[in-house]
Amino acid sequence: MAAAASDMADAQTQWEFSCDLEVDFESEESASIVYATLAVDKELQPDKVKRQMSVSNCKLSVHFEAVEARFLRASYSALLDALTLATKTIEEFGNGLEL
Amino acid sequence: MKKMIALGFEGSANKIGVGVVTLDGTILSNPRHTYITPPGQGFLPRETAQHHFQHILPLVKSALETAQITPKEIDCLCYTKGPGMGAPLQVAAIVVRVLSQLWKKPIVAVNHCIAHIEMGRVVTGADDPVVLYVSGGNTQVIAYSEGRYRIFGETIDIAVGNCLDRFARVLTLSNDPAPGYNIEQLAKKGEQFIDLPYVVKGMDVSFSGILSYIEATAVEKLKNNECTPADLCYSLQENVFAMLVEITERAMAHCDKKDVLIVGGVGCNERLQEMMRTMCSERGGRLFATDDRYCIDNGAMIAYTGLLAFANGTSTPLEESTFTQRFRTDDVEAVWRIKEESEKVNGLKNEST
Repeated sequence: MAAAASDMADAQTQWEFSCDLEVDFESEESASIVYATLAVDKELQPDKVKRQMSVSNCKLSVHFEAVEARFLRASYSALLDALTLATKTIEEFGNGLEL
Repeated sequence: MKKMIALGFEGSANKIGVGVVTLDGTILSNPRHTYITPPGQGFLPRETAQHHFQHILPLVKSALETAQITPKEIDCLCYTKGPGMGAPLQVAAIVVRVLSQLWKKPIVAVNHCIAHIEMGRVVTGADDPVVLYVSGGNTQVIAYSEGRYRIFGETIDIAVGNCLDRFARVLTLSNDPAPGYNIEQLAKKGEQFIDLPYVVKGMDVSFSGILSYIEATAVEKLKNNECTPADLCYSLQENVFAMLVEITERAMAHCDKKDVLIVGGVGCNERLQEMMRTMCSERGGRLFATDDRYCIDNGAMIAYTGLLAFANGTSTPLEESTFTQRFRTDDVEAVWRIKEESEKVNGLKNEST
C-alpha cells in the first residue's frame, strides 16, 4: 500500500516542467506540411518528455511536458531546429506557397 | 519510354550530398559538401547536423540545375534511413518529407550500406562479388545470398576508418580532404615496419585495441626518435589492411565467389586496393574498386538504390519515413537482386530451349 501511495505521488509530480510553442503560418497547407513532417519523429525518451502537436487555423501548436528541465530544453531545441529546416525548405521550394 | 529519375539525399556522416540518377545508373548530377574539422578533432553530431542544415538546400538547387531537370520529372525522393549519426540523418529526412508533400512525390528509405554496394556494382560492372565495405563508420564483408546481402564478417568494435581517422588526430594530420587520405600519403614515405597487434577473430576483426596500442607507443617512440610518423602510418595501414584481406579471402572461399568489390570511404585507399588485387589474382579473380567520386558518401548512390527498390514496387509512406542510427545490411530484402537472379535463370532456360 505504501508503495502504491508513493507511486501516485510520483505520477502527480512527474511532469512538472512544461512549455508551449505556437507558430503562425500564412496558409493551412504550410502548417499541415510542417506538422506532418515533424510528427514522423517520435520523442526518443517518452518516459522523460512528452510532446503533443496540433494544427488549426494556420497555427501549429506544440505542447511539451518533461520530468526535468534539461529534457524539456533538449526536446524544445531539437524541435525548433527541425521546424526551421522544414520552413526554410517550403520557402525555397514551395513555389510561391505562402508560409 | 521516359527514363525513371530519382533524387537522392545522403547525410549520415560528415558529408551532405544530393544526387540525380536514372534507372540505368547514369548520374546526372551529384554535388556534395564535406564538414571538415580542424586537425586533431573529429566531427560531432550536433555540429555536423548544423553543417548539413546550412548546405542542403543550396545542394538541392545545384543538383537540379546541373541535371537540367525540374521537380516534375522526378519519380521518387530517396534518403538515407540509416545507419549513421542521428542528428545529421534527420536533416536529409526532414527535407525529403517536405519536398515529398510539396511536389507530391513518393519517398523511398534507403540503407546506407546497401547503397554503397549497388553504386559500386553499377559503376564497376561487378556482377556478384564478395563486397568489402570499409568506411569511417562501418567495416563489413558482405555477399549476396537468397534475397539479402549477408554479413560474413565485420568489426566487433570500431570501424577501420575510425581507427585511421583517430590515429590521424594523434599525429594532428589535416582532415582535408580526409584524414585517411593524408595517412595514405604519409605512409608512402614509411621505411620501417613497427609490429602491431593483429586482431582477426574468426571472420571478424577488431581495431580498438590496435588503436590504443599505437596511440600509446606512437608518443613514446616518436619522442625517443625510434621511428617517424610516416613509419607509423605505413605500419598501421599494412597491418589493418592485411586483416581485411584475410577475412575477405575467407569469405570468398566460403561462398565460392571469385571477384571482390571494395566500397566505402576507405575503399579509395590505393594501398588497400593493391593488396586486395594481389590476393584476387592469386585466386583467379578480379578486384573491382572505384575512386573517391563514388567510394565516398554521395547523394547519387542513395538515389540509385532507392530507384532500384522503387522500380520494383517499394516505397515508404510519409509516416514511416523515420531515420535510425542502427540499421543492419541484412535487414533489407534486396528485391531488385531477386528479380535479377530470376531473370538470369529464365535467360538460361530460354537459351537451352
